[in-house]
Amino acid sequence: MNACLQPIIDEAKRAWAAEQASGRVKITVTLDTSSIARGAEQTIAAIRDVAAKKKLDVDLSITGSWGFCWAEPTLTVRTAAGTRTVLYANVTADRVEELLEKTVVEGSDLPALAVGVVEGNATPEIPLLAEHPFMHGQVRRLMANLGLTDPENITHYLAHGGYEGFGRALEMDPEAIVKEVLDSGLGGRAGGGFPAGRKWDFLRTATAEPRYLVCNADEGDPGAWVNRVLMEGDPQLIVEGMLIAALAANARWGYIYVRYEYPLAVRRMQIAVDQAREKGLLGENILGTGKDFDLVVFKGAGAYVCGEETGLINSIDGYRGMPRIKPPFPAQAGLWNKPTNVNNVESYANAPLIMREGSAWWSSVSDAREKGTKMFTFSGAVKQPCCVEIPFGPKVRDVLMQYAGGPASDRPIKGFQPGGPLSGVVAASGLDLTLTLDPYRELGLFLGGGGIVFFDDSACTVDLCRYFLSFAEDESCGRCTTCRGGTQRAVEVLRRIQSGGGHVGDFERLEGLVRWLVYSNCFHGQFAMTTVKTALKQFRAEWVEHIEEKRCRARVCPGLFEYRVKAQGDAKLAEAKDICPTGAIAEEGGKYSVVDSLCIRCDACREVAPAAMELRDRAVVPVVAGAAAG
Amino acid sequence: MGAEPTAQELKDLVAEFEPGKGHLLPALHRVQETYGYISRDAIEAVARQLNTTPALVYGCVTFYADFRTHRPPETEITWCSGPACRLAGGERIREAIEHTLELPLGGHSDDGRYGLHLGQCVGTCHESPQVWVNGEVRGGLTVAGAIRLAREVKAAE
Repeated sequence: MNACLQPIIDEAKRAWAAEQASGRVKITVTLDTSSIARGAEQTIAAIRDVAAKKKLDVDLSITGSWGFCWAEPTLTVRTAAGTRTVLYANVTADRVEELLEKTVVEGSDLPALAVGVVEGNATPEIPLLAEHPFMHGQVRRLMANLGLTDPENITHYLAHGGYEGFGRALEMDPEAIVKEVLDSGLGGRAGGGFPAGRKWDFLRTATAEPRYLVCNADEGDPGAWVNRVLMEGDPQLIVEGMLIAALAANARWGYIYVRYEYPLAVRRMQIAVDQAREKGLLGENILGTGKDFDLVVFKGAGAYVCGEETGLINSIDGYRGMPRIKPPFPAQAGLWNKPTNVNNVESYANAPLIMREGSAWWSSVSDAREKGTKMFTFSGAVKQPCCVEIPFGPKVRDVLMQYAGGPASDRPIKGFQPGGPLSGVVAASGLDLTLTLDPYRELGLFLGGGGIVFFDDSACTVDLCRYFLSFAEDESCGRCTTCRGGTQRAVEVLRRIQSGGGHVGDFERLEGLVRWLVYSNCFHGQFAMTTVKTALKQFRAEWVEHIEEKRCRARVCPGLFEYRVKAQGDAKLAEAKDICPTGAIAEEGGKYSVVDSLCIRCDACREVAPAAMELRDRAVVPVVAGAAAG
Repeated sequence: MGAEPTAQELKDLVAEFEPGKGHLLPALHRVQETYGYISRDAIEAVARQLNTTPALVYGCVTFYADFRTHRPPETEITWCSGPACRLAGGERIREAIEHTLELPLGGHSDDGRYGLHLGQCVGTCHESPQVWVNGEVRGGLTVAGAIRLAREVKAAE
């Protein structure tokens, strides 16, 4: 170990041990974007208030996510003796007094809110957290510190194996570091799966100087928040991973490109970089080794296509984030036309683990061809929107039932989207696919960055296609006619189908667009039609209903159903009339009716007067202009 | 956020940024964080500082969804466009809010009191369907609840 690094780590371990031995009860609250949305800041304020009021002496600190996003705010309470730690969920501010009374004053547990015992013995009421169905089967390596350490404190990171991997890499040749990463089998974590070691080797063998590293933290896929959880929970892991890559590829500068929508992640990454620099782990002459490397946290400004690596490079360079035409590839000409390597957050974050524990340990966890663990988020029509870290390989159905808690309601799951708006849709028959890359590729779609969205039969396939195509249209950079015009055309056709103007020729029109958009320059255009392509295959009957029978079974497409008053005497009808934002409910002499031309199908009337309003297939579908012409 | 900045104030604000170093987005963020939006004058000041053209800067300002060329409204409803919200009725909520405020997504009232903004998914999907009012999440919305919220925002002085 480097002579300067060892004392830093030793000191951090002493500081951590001293913190743990304070002799006070320690409350550690998960503070990230998910928990803040559910009131974690108010919970923290309430803990301070109650502790002050009752004169309780407690240590209060913050930490990253346990993954229980649906049950935030979560927190752990560790006894004063330090022998027992219990995880609690749904601790809103109004439950704090009760919690502190039980745990701090009485020194017992509050089983009503307890999830599991993190440290110590289980009780009849509270099982071990490790045995909780949500934790079972998870292998929390990247997330090992989440729930334990303060993401804004480098000392905590250093006390838990932090920078040991970097220390080992310092003693190795660049070739040896690349070999270790190659041996591990670490593949790109944004869905491509390209070996990270090979990418690093491209940069290592590049001829020009200086060389740049870029961390792609522009997690733009709606429904994916794995990178956010990691950046908000353990930002030092990413800093250390980039340092190791810098040693392997002899890079001078690194950029961490974080999307604009993640202000807390930006702040925590910046704190992490500043603290690493203070410790001499970044900057010039790192730990006296003569090596120079420094990191810039770069805030995006809201452009999905900057998730494409050359779009991202252009964005840092100071241009519109339009993807470049390849070749040259970033390893030859990236940032300022110098050699550049772009990896995903998770790809970098695995490097410290590989270097610290060795590639054999790292790859031993998975039976699948894809090695290591992967973080996933599950959302949509599920009971428990959550974030997990698991080895590749389980069936989608199993993770849906075990981690996401199954369907949100009695409605059956109709399908899922495996990873972002460009990744396509899979019907329920695909729930038996495994979470590995190949099965999706074979179906013409892909497993993306880790955000899996489930939908049930209340969703309409045509509407989902229009949603994802509208997104692709909005976010197209505009360079390629195929993408810019193609997505516009697709949205037009889908809108027309949704308003009742479907035409048999639309199948051919959409299939034509599927064939043409693949000629676009970048992934965005090439995959924009994946949803339509896969939905046309897997949900054919629904398309036929929409186009030929003018019927939307899920009653989502606005032109294919209508509202009607079915119970005139209902007392709630006046309220329904009042809530209607377009004045579409008319009343004459106590008799209510719906003015169809004004109705926007927002369903507010049926929400307030469920017994009085009904939906039905549209009796007469009006002729939509342009339907025959295309 | 207050009166219009002078040319000198804008120049000083972006004085630390340099050409050719990837400083365009940071400079624009600095302007927007200070004044709430990026004015025509600010575009010119940034272009001069970074030794580039106002056209290039304007191109970037309008390319990125989160840069604004107008002062933000006093009360802004940001509507989440994510898939979990969509599946929970988000699209109907958008239509209802648009009709209540009589604004399209991205629009604001003439007097600048209120506006409607498109928000991207940040992974707080457990709150779906959701909107943010001046950054504060309002989750688990019904359409009727969204209409009442929009009416309140519209009526508030």
